[in-house]
Amino acid sequence: MSGTPSILHVDMDAFYASVEVRDLPELAGQPVAVGGEAERRGVIAAASYEARAFGVHSAMPTVTARRLCPNLVLLPPNFEKYTQVSRQIMSIFRSYTPVVEPLSLDEAFLDTSGCERLHGDAIEIGRAIRRDILRETGLVASIGVAPTKFLAKLASDLDKPDGFRVILEHQIRSVLDPLPVEKIFGVGRSTAKRLHSLGIRTIGELAGLERDDVVRRFGSSGAWIHDLAHGIDARRVNPRRPEKSRGMERTFAEDISDRDQLKRLLYEYCEEVAFDLRDRGLQGKTIAVKARTPSFKTITRSRTLDRHTNLGARIYATARELFDRVPGGPLRLLGVQVSGLEDVRTAHQGVLFDDGSAPLGGEGAASGDSPEKPGKERRLRRAMLGADRLRKKYGKRLVQPGSLVSDRDRT
Amino acid sequence: MKVLCNREQLREGLAIVNGVIPTKSTRPAIENVCLVATENALELVGTDLEIAIRYRLDDVKVADTGTVLIPARVANEFVRDLSEETVSIDSGGDNCVISSGGDRVELVTIESDEFPVVARFQETHSYPLLAETFNKQIHRTSFAAAREPGRYAMHGILIEIEEGRLRMVATDGRRLAVTSTVIDCPEDAAHRAIVPTKGLQMFSRILSDPMARVRISFEETQFCLKTDNAEIYARLIDGEFPKYSQVVPAEGACKVEADASLLVNKLRLASTVTSADARAVRLVFTEDHIELLARATGRGRATGQMDASYQGSEVDIAFNPDFLIDGLKQCESDRVHLEFNDRTSPGKFQLGQDYTYVVMPITIDT
Repeated sequence: MSGTPSILHVDMDAFYASVEVRDLPELAGQPVAVGGEAERRGVIAAASYEARAFGVHSAMPTVTARRLCPNLVLLPPNFEKYTQVSRQIMSIFRSYTPVVEPLSLDEAFLDTSGCERLHGDAIEIGRAIRRDILRETGLVASIGVAPTKFLAKLASDLDKPDGFRVILEHQIRSVLDPLPVEKIFGVGRSTAKRLHSLGIRTIGELAGLERDDVVRRFGSSGAWIHDLAHGIDARRVNPRRPEKSRGMERTFAEDISDRDQLKRLLYEYCEEVAFDLRDRGLQGKTIAVKARTPSFKTITRSRTLDRHTNLGARIYATARELFDRVPGGPLRLLGVQVSGLEDVRTAHQGVLFDDGSAPLGGEGAASGDSPEKPGKERRLRRAMLGADRLRKKYGKRLVQPGSLVSDRDRT
Repeated sequence: MKVLCNREQLREGLAIVNGVIPTKSTRPAIENVCLVATENALELVGTDLEIAIRYRLDDVKVADTGTVLIPARVANEFVRDLSEETVSIDSGGDNCVISSGGDRVELVTIESDEFPVVARFQETHSYPLLAETFNKQIHRTSFAAAREPGRYAMHGILIEIEEGRLRMVATDGRRLAVTSTVIDCPEDAAHRAIVPTKGLQMFSRILSDPMARVRISFEETQFCLKTDNAEIYARLIDGEFPKYSQVVPAEGACKVEADASLLVNKLRLASTVTSADARAVRLVFTEDHIELLARATGRGRATGQMDASYQGSEVDIAFNPDFLIDGLKQCESDRVHLEFNDRTSPGKFQLGQDYTYVVMPITIDT
C-alpha cells in the first residue's frame, strides 16, 4: 500500500448550474447561474464557468452578479432535483468503496484502500468514477487522487473543471511549494496576512520555517498549517461523520418589522427543522436563533435545553424566548438552528422526579423554562409519528400547528 | 493565654477543625482557628460560615485563660510535625508562640472579635442516639447525593424525624437512597432539615467512638451534633427536597436475589468496554441466572454470567453500572434483593434492614 495514494476527492463542476444546463441544453455556452432574484435580494448559489468568466461566483449578491454580467441567465434553485442527482453520485462512489465521506451534495472524500483487488488502484477507480458519473448523470466531475485528504482536495481543484490530478508521494513537494499559502486549509485571510508580513507567500516558504517558530507565532493552528505545508495530514476519511446541526434561515424579499409575523415565520422554520430532524432520526439540544438587521448586523442567541428534542413546538418554545431577546426593528434575515445532535436511539438515563427536580445542567432549569414532563413528551412524540406519515404522503402543509394555519390554508 | 496540652490531642483537634476552615476566604478572619482557653479546657473553633465546629481538649493545663486567632493552616502543619509529648501555647500582645521541646513557631495573631460568633448547642429539640447509628445513616445515604451543579436541595441529605423514627434520604435525581432507624424521642416529635452533604461528612469525622452517646438537634437555621468533646453545626439548605416517597416503588413484578459482591464484580468486568460518557450495562434475567451485557460503539462488547435466584420469564433492564456498584458496596448482607416492574421503571434494591436504594434505568426512547 505504501507509495500508492488511496484517497480521492470528487467535486462536481459548477454543480447546480451544470444540472440546469443539462436539463435545458439550449443554455449551453451561456453564462448561467442558480440563485435568488436580485429584486428579492437573492444570492448566487452556483455559477457556470461561462458566468465565472465575468467574475460571478457563489455567495455573491445577485444584484452584483447582474452588474458584472448583464446577460446572466438566472434560474431559481431546485434543491429536490440536486438532491436526486447527489444520491446518484453518492451511490456511484459507494459501488467502489464503502468509505465515503460526503462533504456536501456534490463533494466527497473516498478512501479506496482495500478495494484494489476488486476495482483496481485509486487512479483506476477515479477514472471509472468520472466515467460513470458522466454516463449516468451527464455531468462532469473533477477528481483529485493523493495520499492525504488535504492533498486530494487540493488536487481536484488544480485542473478544474473536468480535472483529473494525481499527486504521488514524490511529487508532493514540487506540487505544494509554488502554491500560495492561502491554499492551505485553515489559512484564512488574517493568517495569510500575518504570513505575508513575515515574507511568507508560498507553501514552500512556510514549509521552510522551523516548526517551533510557526507554533510560537500561531499557536496550535500553527502546528496544523505547518504539517499541511509538509503534506502531513493524518485525518482519515470518515464515512460516519455525524451531522452537527440542522437549521433553516431565510432572507426576506423586504425587511419585516412585524414581530408577530416574524414569530410565525420562526415557528414555521422550527417545524421545518424539527421535521427534518425526525426524518433523519436525530434530536438536538441547543437552539440558536439568528437575525440580521438591514445594516447587516447579525444577532445570534442560543440556549441549551435540559434534554434533546426534535419537536417543533419544543424548539419554538425556546426559539421564541431567544427571539424576544433580539432587539425590535426591521429584519432582513431570520433563522433557527438546532445543534448538539444525537441519534434518537441514544440511551438515556431515566430520572426519578417529573417535576423538574432532575439534575438539569443547562440554563433551562434556572430560567424557569418549564420542562415538559416525560409522559407528555412521549405522547407528543407519538402524535408526531402519525403526523409525519401524513406529511410525507400528502405534503408538509397538511399537518401544521393551529397557530400557523392561515386563511389561505383553511379553504 | 497560656496553655499546656498533649501534642497528640492537639494534632487530632487541629486536623479535624482544619477540615472545615477555608484556605482562602473573602473574610480572612475565618482562615484562622480560634483558640479559647477556659479554666480547665482548650477549645478549637473553626468555620467556613456554612459549617462550624467546636472541638474541646480536656487534658490541658491552663495557666492563663483567653482567646486567640492563629492561622489555621500553619498551626496545623507545625503541630503535625512536632515530636515531643507536650505542646505549649502562649499568646500575648499581637503574637502567639507554639513550642514543644526545642521547636517553636511565633505567629502573628489578629483581633479575636473579627471571628464570627459560633453558636452553642441547644438542648431543646435534641435527641440522643448512638454515634455508630448516626454514622451508619450518613454512610448509607451520602454517596447518592448530587454532586454536579443542579438543583441545590439535592446537594444535601434530608433528615427527618417522624413517628419515632429518624429517616435520612439522599438523591441526585437518578438514584435515591433512603434509610431509617428508631430514635428515642417524644411520639409527636416531627422535624425536617436538609443538611449539606459536605457538612454531614464532617459530622462523620467526629463520630470516631462508635459506642459514644451523641445528641442531634434541629434548630431554625442549622442542624447540630454534640459529642463528648465536640459540637458541629451545619447551616440548612433552604430549598424544596424532591418528593421522594412517591418514587420508591411499592413492589415490583420481577424479583431477583443475588450475591452482592459477585454482582459488583460482574458489573465491573462488563462495564470495562463502556466509555465514560455512555455507561450502561444491560442485565438479562432468566431462570436462576443473570447475564450482563455492555457494548460501546467503536470499542467492543463484554458479557458476564452469574447465578441468581429469579423465577419468571426472561426480562431485561439496563443501568449505569457505577450507580449499582455505589449502592451494592453499601449492601449489609451477602445477598441483595432487587425488584422492578419493567425496563423503564425504577429498580429497587434492598441493601439492609430499613435501607432501600432506588435507581432509574437507562432507556432508549422509541
